[in-house]
Amino acid sequence: MSISDFIKGLTIHDSNNFTHLSEHGLRTSQRRASVYLPTEDVASEQLIVMDKRCVLLRYLTQQWDKKTLQRKREHGNGNEGNNGNSSTPNGGSSSKKRPRLDPNELNN
Amino acid sequence: MSHHYVVTAQKPTAVVACLTGNFTSPTDLNLIIARNNQVEIGIVTPEGLRPLKEININGTIAVMKHFRPPDSNKDLLFILTRRYNVMILEARMVGDTITVITKANGNVSDSVGIPSEGGVIAAIDPKARVIGMCLYQGLFTIIPMEKDASELKATNLRMDELMVYDVEFLHGCLNPTVIVIHKDNDGRHVKSHEINLRDKEFMKIAWKQDNVETEATMLIPVPSPIGGVIVIGRESIVYHDGSNYHAVAPLTFRQSTINCYARVDSKGLRYLLGNMHGQLYMLFLGTSESSKGITVKDIKVEQLGEISIPECITYLDNGFLYIGARHGDSQLVRLSSEAIEGSYVIPVENFTNLAPILDIAVVDLDRQGQGQIITCSGSFKDGSLRIIRIGIGIQEHACIDLPGIKGMWSLKVGTDDSPYENTLVLAFVGHTRILTLSGEEVEETEIPGFASDLQTFLCANVEHDQLIQVTSDSVRLVKSSSKSLVAEWRPEGDRSIGVVSCNGTQIVVASARDIFYIVIEDGNLQEKCRKTLAYEVACLDITPLDEKQNKSELVAVGLWTDISAVMLSLPSLDTIYTEKLSGEIIPRSILMTTFEGIHYLLCALGDGSMYYFIMDPITGQLTDKKKVTLGTQPTTLRTFRSFATTNVFACSDRPTVIYSSNHKLVFSNVNLKEVNHMCSLNAQAYPDSLALATKNSVILGTIDEIQKLHIRTVPLGEGPRRIAYQEASQTFAVSTLRIDVHGRGGPKPLRSSASTRAQNITCSSNILPKPGGGNSTAANAEVGQEIDVHNLLVIDQNTFEVLHAHQFVSPETISALMSAKLGDDPNTYYVVATSLVIPDEPEPKVGRIIIFHYHDNKLTQVAETKVDGTCYALVEFNGKVLAGIGSFVRLYEWTNEKELRMECNIQNMIAALYLKAKGDFILVGDLMRSITLLQHKQMEGIFVEIARDCEPKWMRAVEILDDDTFLGSETNGNLFVCQKDSAATTDEERQLLPELARFHLGDTVNVFRHGSLVMQNVGERTTPINGCVLYGTCNGAIGIVTQIPQDFYDFLHGLEERLKKIIKSVGKIEHTYYRNFQINTKVEPSEGFIDGDLIESFLDLSRDKMREAVLGLELTLYGERKSADVEDVIKIVEDLTRMH
Repeated sequence: MSISDFIKGLTIHDSNNFTHLSEHGLRTSQRRASVYLPTEDVASEQLIVMDKRCVLLRYLTQQWDKKTLQRKREHGNGNEGNNGNSSTPNGGSSSKKRPRLDPNELNN
Repeated sequence: MSHHYVVTAQKPTAVVACLTGNFTSPTDLNLIIARNNQVEIGIVTPEGLRPLKEININGTIAVMKHFRPPDSNKDLLFILTRRYNVMILEARMVGDTITVITKANGNVSDSVGIPSEGGVIAAIDPKARVIGMCLYQGLFTIIPMEKDASELKATNLRMDELMVYDVEFLHGCLNPTVIVIHKDNDGRHVKSHEINLRDKEFMKIAWKQDNVETEATMLIPVPSPIGGVIVIGRESIVYHDGSNYHAVAPLTFRQSTINCYARVDSKGLRYLLGNMHGQLYMLFLGTSESSKGITVKDIKVEQLGEISIPECITYLDNGFLYIGARHGDSQLVRLSSEAIEGSYVIPVENFTNLAPILDIAVVDLDRQGQGQIITCSGSFKDGSLRIIRIGIGIQEHACIDLPGIKGMWSLKVGTDDSPYENTLVLAFVGHTRILTLSGEEVEETEIPGFASDLQTFLCANVEHDQLIQVTSDSVRLVKSSSKSLVAEWRPEGDRSIGVVSCNGTQIVVASARDIFYIVIEDGNLQEKCRKTLAYEVACLDITPLDEKQNKSELVAVGLWTDISAVMLSLPSLDTIYTEKLSGEIIPRSILMTTFEGIHYLLCALGDGSMYYFIMDPITGQLTDKKKVTLGTQPTTLRTFRSFATTNVFACSDRPTVIYSSNHKLVFSNVNLKEVNHMCSLNAQAYPDSLALATKNSVILGTIDEIQKLHIRTVPLGEGPRRIAYQEASQTFAVSTLRIDVHGRGGPKPLRSSASTRAQNITCSSNILPKPGGGNSTAANAEVGQEIDVHNLLVIDQNTFEVLHAHQFVSPETISALMSAKLGDDPNTYYVVATSLVIPDEPEPKVGRIIIFHYHDNKLTQVAETKVDGTCYALVEFNGKVLAGIGSFVRLYEWTNEKELRMECNIQNMIAALYLKAKGDFILVGDLMRSITLLQHKQMEGIFVEIARDCEPKWMRAVEILDDDTFLGSETNGNLFVCQKDSAATTDEERQLLPELARFHLGDTVNVFRHGSLVMQNVGERTTPINGCVLYGTCNGAIGIVTQIPQDFYDFLHGLEERLKKIIKSVGKIEHTYYRNFQINTKVEPSEGFIDGDLIESFLDLSRDKMREAVLGLELTLYGERKSADVEDVIKIVEDLTRMH
């Protein structure tokens, strides 16, 4: 495959674009557009806010959540008669093999 | 307290990022360019690129990306600034006006995060579900894009990879999946992470590839359905999608590192790659289709040709690319399927870029009282000198020696249908000569109907294919086809015509106090009316205000004796308005013209000054009187058209072009010494040109696009570092860096450049021994290794030819340069400081200071002295050499034996990088310990530390503003001013240099120089400015810092505060926050500096907003305190704009 084949069939959005370039050869331009000066205040639709919680704390909370989940499960398995409140769905036989559950779901 | 005004004369030109998308409408193809703190929205048209709007962002742009929300047919812009402000912008087009809406904004900084070493990186999920950023080590910041939420909750995710080089999102993944190149002790690896947006955590690693190339730097995600990622390394390219793996190592790649790419087609089969040598490659993914879908089967890479060293590339349309650059000019290039001289890349347009400005020299070569700047711009192969001056350039195409011209007009004579003019009429005292232009040839001819034995006052093409010639005797009407006289009009008796003006259908003629109105008919001159005015007529004008009309309703007249401008109505010649011009100088030229829809009357006087008014086209009423000084000699005003706009040329000893920008008149100098007469000329061989008569010749040339700063480029092909001007030899010395490559026979230059093309080339013979012995690095370099070769170039001040190149042997590098007159020696010398830069050493230990003399086209080394460290700075100090050498500041005297002898020495720095001197005082800018003021005690022959700024700052440039005030630029883009407190009562206080003014410029200043770009005392100044310091920055901006008095500062500060409220910030970053002086975590409010860019934007506001801005503002005018009105403020701000 030659370089010419490489360059053939380049993307075209509008075939008119760049068809009327001036014929003066290489131009040097310093042109700048006029400056945009908005004077109308339009409120932002969305505000980007940073989650200020410490990453480490969040990680520990997550870990803790996982552990409590584990413990709850174990607890739930031990008292099968009382698991009416348990959010563990269809309390499986082997908690160890259960997929990890969403802690949010657990809190709901 | 210290008060300053800082303003940008040349906006930053280095391109940080560029991209193509549909922003202003679903069908508009827009090119978006980011430069430092600005975003330019442009549009692709059949005529090429057209810039639409420039948007200021109150922050330095670190990343700009675009994305398309799933339900949208338009793209949005995402911007991340250096201070971690983020914004999502949308452009809307209503009619011809663009509005930019901030869709979302916020700040994602972390108070304790350690900034990532690989720089700030951001990527956007291809389905626009999330934005991901690497801002801090060990953290990955995400902004989930929830469409309907009023808040977007950005979160930091913990990431195991600490050293991240690039991040991208993979295409075609169920969950947003990032892929990173990271480095650990074993090498560089590629790893993907799936993001769980609901829990805001990484879920799993979909796939990874350990140990990719050790220099892998860039990732290119491949769009669906192919998917996967291309990993770009120093020598190889790898495609990987988790299961499929292909690699190539193109030979041509070895030369340099790929630093940017652009995807050509949406399918993702073709990519453009650019490297640091300015080579453009195309990468092609060969695919095969199987039951599993499309898979990559091979990678092909071909070199297409050479471009500017790219920073970013974007594919526009029909094979055209935009190359954004920060080391040379940005470019519009076309890809051609046929090679032209071995290249498939054809440059179409260059966009001037001055960045990085490493040094500047301010000189007044023409001795016209106007400075020009010579910058050391660009790096590597794109290095150049730029000659920058305010004004307009005339490109000379032909020159005819003809002294004594009194008037000049271009005509179209004959019957052919050609739209071009073919005749030039030249008036001399007592006769007229006619020149025919056939092709490029010019020969003398005759028009039988013209009187050639008289001086012509006026000539023109008029209605019905006729010509007009006016002499002191008569008005002659000549048929263009037959060139014979068809009608003649004479004033009665032996009266002679004094002044005259005409348009296509009308003539006004004045003889002393009488004025005649004549209408041009086919073969006839019909006198319609005559009037006698109160005084003799000095000048006249009947130019139609509407360009489409060839008939005027008004006549403008300038009168002797009472020195007035009078407006007459036609056809009655009734006086409808009289305006007394103050003073005793008679008007010499009067002109009615229209700029940007506003009608003006311009009236130039005999002393080179000019009044201008806004004129009512019906009543002739003149308002808004203003005066400006254009030159010192009688001035003639002529209109001409250039780039489809009307301009006025003022012929005088300081020729000036008058045009309008943003509805205000701009007076721009022309780069010619003197122009007595001019006319526009549109001949076949000289289209859209001007004919300009100087004292001894006629110049045919074209005028540059109307602009204020005129930039001429002298390409060097190697990177300039330092520049010094020497008046005695009429030369510049420039130190440059050339990259040679070590071949089998020793190092060879990669390409022809300024130092290899010089008229004379010498090589430094005196090689300093490397400390500790052993061979120099150059000798035992491997084949293919790059070597830095430093050159001292001597360049002619007029032609910019390289007269001499003096090459230093690697590893000797030039660290400083100056021109100086030393001791009692009558010669002026170039003083060059060098050092041996050896990569293993933390700091060079050995260097020398060499004295060169350039005389009679010869560069001779006069003296040298060895120094123990790098000499970072050199300053001429009372006929001696002052040098900053490592941690020392040293003074060398020039002995009668032509030797440098150390006189005194002080060690009180980390590294004395910058020096400035004034009288006995020396200002030192330190690597990290801010600024120190030293005094040289001549009697004792010692340096004494007078005071220092105790706050640590990493300095980039210093300057002495006055005896007590010192300006500094530090590495975070801040400016500050320290002041010596001479009145302090205790020694302790006297030893401090308190920081009195501070400002965040948002760009790194590399150099300060005293000097001005404009002639002083142009027009009536209302602005009390004191001194002028020019600066040049990393991003290619040039600006001005000047001192202002307290009351003026207070006034401007009041205006600034009002403008901050009126002009809304795109991206909602407050102006006050932007200008805060910030060094790492230390933040202090800006004070003592007025942001001139903000102040000058006042002139672009609507009248209503102007009124709002001046409401309640007070100013002191002529010693009287009053509340400001819009006109006062416009005048003051316009005056401020005339500084640049």
